[in-house]
Amino acid sequence: MDTILTGLGTGFAVALDPFNLMLVLAGAFFGTLIGALPGLGPINGVAILLPIAYSMGFEPASALILLAGIYYGAEYGGRISSILLNVPGDAGAVMTTLDGYPMARNGQAGRALSLSAISSFIGGTFAVILMTLFGPMLATFAVTFSPADYVALMVFAFASLASLVGKNPTKTLLGALIGLMLATIGIDANTGVPRYTFGIPDFLAGIDFLIVIVGLFGMAELFTLVEKQVSGKLDSLPVDNSFVKMADLAKSKWTIVRCSFLGFFIGVLPGTGASVASAVAYGTEKRLAGAEGHLFGTGDVRGLAAPETANNAAAGGAMVPMLTLGIPGSGTTAIILGALLMFNIQPGPLLFTQQPEIAWGLIASMYVGNVALLLINLPLVGLFARMLTIPQHYLTPMIAILAFVGIYTIVGNPFDLLLVTGLGVFGWFLRKMEFSLAPVILGFVLGGLFENNLRRALSISGGDWMILLEDYKSVTLYVLAVLVVAIPVYLQRRARRMEGDPVSREDAND
Amino acid sequence: MADRIFAGVLFLATVAYAIIAFVSISAPFQYDPLGPESWPQILSVIALLCLIHILWKPDVEGLEVNRATAFRLLFMVALMIVYAELYEPVGFIISTILFGALTARMLGATLKHSAIFGLAAGIGGYLLCAILLDLNLPEGELVEALLEMGGT
Repeated sequence: MDTILTGLGTGFAVALDPFNLMLVLAGAFFGTLIGALPGLGPINGVAILLPIAYSMGFEPASALILLAGIYYGAEYGGRISSILLNVPGDAGAVMTTLDGYPMARNGQAGRALSLSAISSFIGGTFAVILMTLFGPMLATFAVTFSPADYVALMVFAFASLASLVGKNPTKTLLGALIGLMLATIGIDANTGVPRYTFGIPDFLAGIDFLIVIVGLFGMAELFTLVEKQVSGKLDSLPVDNSFVKMADLAKSKWTIVRCSFLGFFIGVLPGTGASVASAVAYGTEKRLAGAEGHLFGTGDVRGLAAPETANNAAAGGAMVPMLTLGIPGSGTTAIILGALLMFNIQPGPLLFTQQPEIAWGLIASMYVGNVALLLINLPLVGLFARMLTIPQHYLTPMIAILAFVGIYTIVGNPFDLLLVTGLGVFGWFLRKMEFSLAPVILGFVLGGLFENNLRRALSISGGDWMILLEDYKSVTLYVLAVLVVAIPVYLQRRARRMEGDPVSREDAND
Repeated sequence: MADRIFAGVLFLATVAYAIIAFVSISAPFQYDPLGPESWPQILSVIALLCLIHILWKPDVEGLEVNRATAFRLLFMVALMIVYAELYEPVGFIISTILFGALTARMLGATLKHSAIFGLAAGIGGYLLCAILLDLNLPEGELVEALLEMGGT
């Protein structure tokens, strides 16, 4: 408890520094702006803004705080297009459209937006509190992990990813493998041997992480926009003056509490992020509502509060394995992990003891970011909603220009611009083939860590592969990995036998 | 069908990846049991197994992109390649004006609006990013020459 309090003290000292405070606010503001762009999901918004934030040359702690603000803001901005346009920005927001859009259509857009802001705030804050309590504990335990245990942990992460994300497990696994394979490009750090560089000097240091995310997320999204391009602008419902009532909160208070817990623990599972959490939360609440369950989908406040709370709680939960183990829980945390690596910060069990100002600064800025978003969004939602009316034919070139600015400013190499375009085309094809892109990015970020731990483990054992199964921790993780693959298959079979409604799984890009 | 073609292309790429892993990567000397080639070997084998499964049981029928859309996408890619190639030689301002105006025009803005948008994006973007945020953007030889003339 003492370490937590001193840690929080350090963290708030960093986060409340006037300059950093301004960065959280600016990040939250611009994040919401870009998140509210129609059709551009939070992860794509973060991907496009990340290189620009990186090139501003801030201290690591400040840059990360800015990023956390952008991430939170973009997540929030995504809600606006779900509720007013019925266009979910990402998979996590699909459930929000179910009751959010009907509410807006009934002339209660303001009520829906403010309710979603408040439930997001509660879910997010709740998750940060749980993270503050459990994070350091998990980190203390994780210090005892050997390289072999890390290999097992990674196998578990990819197993749960393959089983829970996307429609086709084989494609999810293949996506992760593509990411892992992309990560092998460049000079091998252990022996200095170049791999897959084909003599191109730009490849020697490996493909830059920023190029991969801007290419696969930003550019692929851009091509999707061009593909689905409809002339003119989308029809947005107006924001009215209605506001959330105390009765709404009273009606949904237990929903919010339940979904905060549920979302957090689903978020902690490696590989499963906000999309799974919001879907599970919505389904659970609908069942718990009993006779009133049929109201879900027609603009029920609980149906809006449930996914919104779970979504944000999961976003916080996903930060736990990322900070304490170095294993991101979702696509977006994979991006934040990559950002940490760019600053030469290796997240993991030692982060809390070796660089407390980073770990705790980030946690404290999440508290601040949550409050900032609530304060920014309640009064300014009308301004953000206006972003929805930007016509596609200006939006598309703007995204391309922003992405090019970001990529060029990293090292000033025009070759990167071609690379990012190529990766965008590749990402577009992957999406058309119903691959989710989150596993690719997870594989790319974890590639080096996975390989190094495997090699280290085998160096320790002198080449004996049995070392991977020696510790009880690794064995437990392998058992969990098998379970996480087997249980959904079993449940699906059973559901099919009982002819209940088929378990639908949404494509996850969160 | 589209699934099979895409998986087939990926299959060929992975086979090439595997051949390089099994044949050409090797360290001149090493102390560890796993060399730089082992990890790519493992990855390529699992990836090939996944690809065989997809080739066996594809689940996406077609790309469902009609001719006009395909043409628009190709044109967009071409525009971006040209934009990337012009980025340094002619500088951010001019290349962005051209790219912004052409893209907006292609996607359905009127001629006048595209031109205004291009000019705003090029000049406004440069002022915002290079002057205000102090980011490193190419001025281009032409603009550099003009600035030098103005300076001296």
